[in-house]
This record gives sequence, C-alpha cells and structure tokens, in this order.
Amino acid sequence: MRVLTFAVASLFSTLATASDVRIALVAGTVEITGLPPGEDDRWAELVRVTVHDERTPNAHRPAVVGTYEIEGDVLRFRPIFAFAPGMSYRVEVEGAEPTSTILHVPANVGVPVTRVDRVFPSTDLLPENQLKVYIHFSASMSGGDGLRFVRLVDENGNEVLDPFLPLGEHFWDHDRRRYTIFFDPGRVKRGILPNEQLGRPIQEGKRYRLLVDPDWRDAQGLPLAEAFEKSFRVGEADEEPLDPATWSLTAPGAGAREPFIVDFAEPLDHEILVRALEVEDASGAFISGQHEISRNETRWSFSPSEPWREGSYHLVVLGILEDLAGNRIGRPFEVDVFEAVRPEEQQSYRIPFAVVPVSR
Amino acid sequence: MKLNAVTIGLAALALVAGAGYASAETVSSDVGASFQSIGPLAFGPEGILFAADNKAATIYALDLGSEASGKTPGAKDVPAIDQKIAAMLGTDVREISVTDLAIEPRSKNAFVSVERGPGANLGTALLRIDGEGTIDVVSLDKLKYTKVQIGNAPEADPSARRDPRAATVTDMAFVNGRIFIAGLSNEEFASKLRSVAYPFDKVDQGTSVEIYHGAHGQWETRSPVYTFVPYDVDDEPHLIAGYLCTPLVKFPISKLEAGQKLVGTTIAELGNRNRPLDMIVYSKGGKDYLLMSNTSRGVMKIPTDDFGSQEGITKHVPDGNQAGIAYETIAELEGVEQLDFYDEGHTILMSRTGSGALNLHKVALP
Repeated sequence: MRVLTFAVASLFSTLATASDVRIALVAGTVEITGLPPGEDDRWAELVRVTVHDERTPNAHRPAVVGTYEIEGDVLRFRPIFAFAPGMSYRVEVEGAEPTSTILHVPANVGVPVTRVDRVFPSTDLLPENQLKVYIHFSASMSGGDGLRFVRLVDENGNEVLDPFLPLGEHFWDHDRRRYTIFFDPGRVKRGILPNEQLGRPIQEGKRYRLLVDPDWRDAQGLPLAEAFEKSFRVGEADEEPLDPATWSLTAPGAGAREPFIVDFAEPLDHEILVRALEVEDASGAFISGQHEISRNETRWSFSPSEPWREGSYHLVVLGILEDLAGNRIGRPFEVDVFEAVRPEEQQSYRIPFAVVPVSR
Repeated sequence: MKLNAVTIGLAALALVAGAGYASAETVSSDVGASFQSIGPLAFGPEGILFAADNKAATIYALDLGSEASGKTPGAKDVPAIDQKIAAMLGTDVREISVTDLAIEPRSKNAFVSVERGPGANLGTALLRIDGEGTIDVVSLDKLKYTKVQIGNAPEADPSARRDPRAATVTDMAFVNGRIFIAGLSNEEFASKLRSVAYPFDKVDQGTSVEIYHGAHGQWETRSPVYTFVPYDVDDEPHLIAGYLCTPLVKFPISKLEAGQKLVGTTIAELGNRNRPLDMIVYSKGGKDYLLMSNTSRGVMKIPTDDFGSQEGITKHVPDGNQAGIAYETIAELEGVEQLDFYDEGHTILMSRTGSGALNLHKVALP
C-alpha cells in the first residue's frame, strides 16, 4: 500500500500548530497523528472524510460512513466500503487550527488479460427463433448490465434494433464468468406487435455478427484484452418439440470404459445440457463419471468412473432440456392452443439402453 | 384448456435432488448478516425485513429491532438521493445502484437497498431515511437474522456437479405467514414462484411453480413474472401478478398447494415492449386501485372493481396495446423506478429526472 503524504492546507493564516497534524492513507484507512492531546474522546468529532471531485470542489457532500479507532496518539478512520481506486477524498480536521487535505487513491493500472472464452451456441447456424446466447469469460467480470456491451449487426454493418430482452436482471452465474442474453421473445413470439412490426431480431437466410465491446470491465475494473466477434448465419425457425426418438444412443461393451454416447438430431442448449442428463443403473442409482459435450452441442458422452458392467441402464433426461429455440421434449416453446393437445410436462424422461458382453 | 390459462404446475424438486444437486433448503440463524448482493426487500411481521441475496440464492429475515426506526417517523423527500448515498459510501454515483425501496409499516421510514460496484469494489448497503430526510446506513453487525437458501445455491460439496443457475428474485411479498418469492433463472426462460413459511425454522420445501401466460392470438409461451401483490378478489386472497410484455394475471393463493394445478386468469393486457416494475394496492373514494410502474409505459392506475368478473382474455390483442381491464396513465409520474405504499393518502417513489438524478419523494395517491 502506498502511503500518501500531503502538505497541510491551513484554513487560517495563523502560525499553524496544525503542522503537527499528519494525515495519510495507510492500509485502506485514513491515519491521523498529532491531534491535540487530552481530547481523545473528541477526536472522532473533529475529523470528517468526504468524497472529493475536482469538477465540483465546493459541492456539499455527506461524510463517508465508517468507523474510528484510536490507538495511542493515532486516530484511524476506516470506511464501510474500501476507498475506491482512482477516487479522491477530502479529510478535514476541525479545531482551533482547522486543516484539510486531499488524498488520492491510485487508480488500478494493469494489463488487461480477461477475454471472451467461448460463446454458446458454438455453431454458426442459428434458428430464426434462437432464444439465448451465453458468453463465457476467462476470469470473473465486474457484474452489472452487460447488454450495453453487446451489439448485433447485420451483413451490411447495420445495427439490429433492440434484439435482446432488457430483462432488468443481470444474468451472471455465481462467479460472474458467464453472462446470459435472451433474444426478445416479444419479437420472437408470433402474434405480438413487435414481431409483426419488426419481425424477428434475426432473419432466415441472412448473416449477422455478435460484437462484444472490449470496454466491458472485469472484476479488477480493467477492460477486456480484446474485442470479440461471433459471426453466424440464420436458418429457418425451429418450432418442433424435442423428440428423443430421433436421438441415437451408442452403448459400449461390458468391461470397457469407453463412453456411452448420445447424438442429438440438432444442437441443444449447452448450459442446460450440462446438467440435464444422467445415467442410472438397473437399481436406479446414478453412476458416477465424467460427461463431455462436443460437436456443436449435438453430442453428449459419458465416461464412467468404473468399467461398464453388463446390464440394463437408463439415460435420465430432465424435462428442462431445450434446443436452441427453447423447445422442450413434447413441448415447443410456442404452443398453438387451438390445435395442440398439451401433454403433461414430465419432470424427467428415462430412456433404456443395455450394456452387453463384448462378442469375441 | 382455455386460451388465457396460466398453468401453474407444482413441481417437486425431489428429482433434481436425485440428480446430484443440493436442493434441501438450509435454514440458519445468527447475528450480523453478510450480503453478497441485496434486493428486493419486503416487510413481514413486526420489525422483520425480508431481503433477497440473489448471488447467494438466500432470503434473509432481518430482525431490525431498534433499527426499524430513525429519529423521526415518516419519510421526507430527498432530492438526488443516489448522489448522497454514493458520497456516504465513498464512491461515485455511477458506481451504485438502488435495488429496492420498502416502507417500514410502523415508523413509515423508508428503507433502501443499494449495491456498490460493478468492479473491484463490490458491496451492499441497507439505508434508512427518516421523517427529517436523514439518511443512515443500517448497521447489520448486531442484528439477529434467520436465512433460508432458495435452491440453486452454489454447491457446498466441491465434488458434486456445479449448478450454474442463478435464480434471480424479482419480487417478494409477505402474505398470511408466508413469504412468496417470484424469480427467474439465467437459463430457463420462465418464472418460478415459491412460498416459504415464516419463521423459517418450519420451512417446507417451498413450492416451485412454472407460470405460462397466453394472450397473444393463439400463442402461449413461457414468460417471467416481475412483480406481484396480494389482493382479495371477491373476499378470496389472490396474487395479482404483472408479467413481461405485460399481462396482468390473477390466481387464488389457496390453490397454491403442492400437487395441484392452477389455472390463472389474464385480466388485462397492458402493452408490449414493457416490463412492470412495482405494484401497490390502495383505496380512494371507496374504491380500490392498483398502481403499477413500468419501464416504458409510465405509471398505471387500474381499478380493481372488475377483477372478479373480468373474463379471461382469449382473443388476439390486435394493436399490441391494451385489452381487458382499462387503466389510466398518470402523466405527472414520470421516470418512476421504485414504488411503495406509504399511507392511505400517499405513495413513496423514487424517480429519475431528465438530468439523471434519482429523487425520493412522497406523492398523493392519484
């Protein structure tokens, strides 16, 4: 921690015994020494710390809230929130010889290293009614509203108007390393005015670029190391519910540790796929192991911790599994309620498969 | 199945538990709550303030004790309150965001939750504004609390598969001994509505419900609920919920039981490209009204007379604007971001002026 010393600015042109007062920023506190002795109990009342802004030096601001501690002839003021890098604070000491000084907290300087790691869907062919985009970063971000830093431009370089839903919530994961963007379903859902006026945010047969502004700040307050761009083209809207009958399951032989492989007919939502599939044995116990998602989210592979045993198994699929357009098993994202007989949504689906001895 | 149905399927979370996630809610009590994030707020029984910590997927019940009131009862107007709060927290106004406003029902002091950041200096604060306009930071150090995890919390067991969902609480309300919590997820485009009995030591597993709304022509789809208020319709307790783009839906609380399916009713369509922010219910001249603030359609005053008799909306709303129960836009209330009930004649607002300042002010109910 740099210690900042200062020149005392006496408010009076008297001979300042206040020169005995020394104020410095030490380990996140304002440390004041040389206050008049014998008045320890009054010291805290004599000291006032406020935010200082060069542009409005005379603006009246409430004092920064914090706690005081006194140790010998030293008073320490500790703010409830740490003093912020790049900010300045005015410290005023009242008394017969009032003094005041400005302390500057050095700004964070550092080399930007955080970058966009991956974006899902990873495919470059999205349905016209794409529902979500997930942006993964290499390190924790600052949080807050990310939509300001994401733009969508068409093949002519024109920005698409309001393509994303301003949900008012900032969809970070717990580490602030993943940000979720929803395309505006008011523009996606049919029969609602924005859709009729504007059409879907992305249109079949066209190309777009999703641009991430490098000014997006990471948890250290630093910008990204570089801008990011994902280029994609748009195919027809997908309004079909997921159908496990179209999946292909490849079971390994007994005794092997080869993965059990599920190939889907289309890319699925990566982040839900991560947690929506499990394998259980004949007794209904979940098998421990590693799973992997590959081939643009069209393949899920499961490698068990122990070699496969002969027997019957189930692939367990949670009902929350979705494709890129938000369609679920037996339930598309949009339902024509005049035609669709709505099936009861299930919590999970169990698809049987068998592990058989390897033929010699 | 009627077209306007809001289907509330009550889903037991047992299956998810089986899939290796933490789902059992944990309840604990201590002193000195430590928030990772804060807001929304809702007052419960005497002196209890519920506060959501979305980052920790936790609801706190803070026992405010003597902190429930400042020196002077009431809440006085504070112009540019965001700038004053930022100064008290030692930062720039651009670095803070007000996440909610709630009026303590007895002292009538205003409580405001604030997050500082984004960036390296994340922090949370709870502030109280009294009848003199004095702003105090509420010190949580000595306050007793109980807290309950609402699922989707980061997994304590590092060997378990991590669950990256973040269940963001959009609104809370305390009704008949239960706290109702609306929220949405960063992965599943749908609302969750849960309720947990208070005190939390008698926690049930809550009820996870998914809500669908259908009103737009023939199409229905999942949609998130943003704000709701408890209200008696024909003497039966209901929740009145405001959704994205902007249906108003009623459903009876008594039907919110595990294992039941509940069909709600869309009683108004209040326009698209809009998100409801806050709602209160009040009486004036012998009639009840709903006052609702919105992101892009101002503040609406909605009479509740017909909430019981209004037929569910089953037809396409042709101009994308409005159908069902009519409303009046209160023109003089602009830029309202936060809203809470103050007393029989007043509401407390936080509204943003053209110059960008956020003002706290008390206004007569329209």
